[in-house]
Amino acid sequence: MNHRVLYAWLLLMPLGMLAAPPRQASDSARQTQSRGASSQPADAGARVFAANCSRCHQPPMSLSPRTTGTVIMHMRTRARLSREDEKLLLKFMAP
Amino acid sequence: MPRREYVATAEPSPLDSIYANTGCVGPPCSLLFSQSRGKENGAGYIPIISGGAGYIHNVTGGGPTLEPQVNPVLLVPFGRHVLLESRTDFTGFFARENFTSGPFKGKVFKDVEYAQLDWLADTHAIVVGGHYLLPFGLYNERLGPIWIRNLQDSPFTASIGTRTSGAGNGLMVRGVAAQTPTMSLQYTAYYSVPSDVEQLGSGRAAGGDASVFFPGHRFEVGGSAQRFLQDHHITNGAVYISWQPLEASMDVKGEFDASYNGRGYWLEGAYKLDHVSSHSFIHKAQLVGRFQQVFPQNGGGNGLPRNNNKRFDTGLNYYLKDNLRLISSYARNFNSQQNLNV
Repeated sequence: MNHRVLYAWLLLMPLGMLAAPPRQASDSARQTQSRGASSQPADAGARVFAANCSRCHQPPMSLSPRTTGTVIMHMRTRARLSREDEKLLLKFMAP
Repeated sequence: MPRREYVATAEPSPLDSIYANTGCVGPPCSLLFSQSRGKENGAGYIPIISGGAGYIHNVTGGGPTLEPQVNPVLLVPFGRHVLLESRTDFTGFFARENFTSGPFKGKVFKDVEYAQLDWLADTHAIVVGGHYLLPFGLYNERLGPIWIRNLQDSPFTASIGTRTSGAGNGLMVRGVAAQTPTMSLQYTAYYSVPSDVEQLGSGRAAGGDASVFFPGHRFEVGGSAQRFLQDHHITNGAVYISWQPLEASMDVKGEFDASYNGRGYWLEGAYKLDHVSSHSFIHKAQLVGRFQQVFPQNGGGNGLPRNNNKRFDTGLNYYLKDNLRLISSYARNFNSQQNLNV
């Protein structure tokens, strides 16, 4: 059991490095992000979202707007976010 | 092999660029975005029952254990400034009767991890009362939940600063002391009274935590201190770093802890392969590694081992969905008494 996990780990690492590099796609996505950074009001919220969620866990892929306010109250307490950060997140996630 | 592409939706959303960075591509993302942006009347404040569940099969030194775990979380808002929240832990621990043979026997442990009332007064002060997780170092408050941690086992030093139960009973104040666009200085201060109430146990302690976070670099450095004020009074301290570089889906964390009973450190790195490969199978995988050492003093104890230990963990996690993943790990533990595979 332990050896199987180790072998899988060792197998996957070189596979990942050999696989086709998708730099073009991810770079263009990042450019899209930076291009719009100064133009859209919600982008400040996007930056707060991206920077703070990943400090502890993978950013959530989905969140129902019905629960967004409650979840952000919870995360503001956990992550010690400012009131301003909370407002930006609310604008971003439930405009 | 399908090439990974960033799929732009007809109506661009701020979430698009974020999810592109996190590896979410294609129609599922569009569905998620429409959920988030379709609502025009703002955020909802409704009670939530959420949480996580997991099943861990562990083999330590040849002895298997089965550990099913359920952690329900309750969030009840009262207006927009008061939140009641709690998390309960139900963990089963079943081991073979004769270590490696015989039927599995064990029991289910129940624990209220936290049950607290938060008053989000303003930026500088969030007042918390009740049974709260002790904010010491990175692990106890932030990385403890099964759906967050990258490796099954906690570091050796996770017991430093979290006596007696990992939680305190009393008052805590936390918030942002100062904030600029490039940094945020955050703090927590608390006082806990002793309690022997079943599932709500705590020790008498006072302490705090402060960290500086640089959002542009996603880098955080901080420290925690605690004075344990019950029985043998001792002082505990920790310094930590956390870094999620923008260029890669990487998470690096490290911590050094010291107390009367010993000192130790751990360094953990997790790397999600979504920037390495276009193959959908591979970019959902995450590699994890952690190295740690602990040096007991004054006989160790209070959660610390009695002997010097060093341990290396490697893990392979696979995200089937955003909220469903498989985690696996292998560890080798070295100490003066016995070396173990975990």
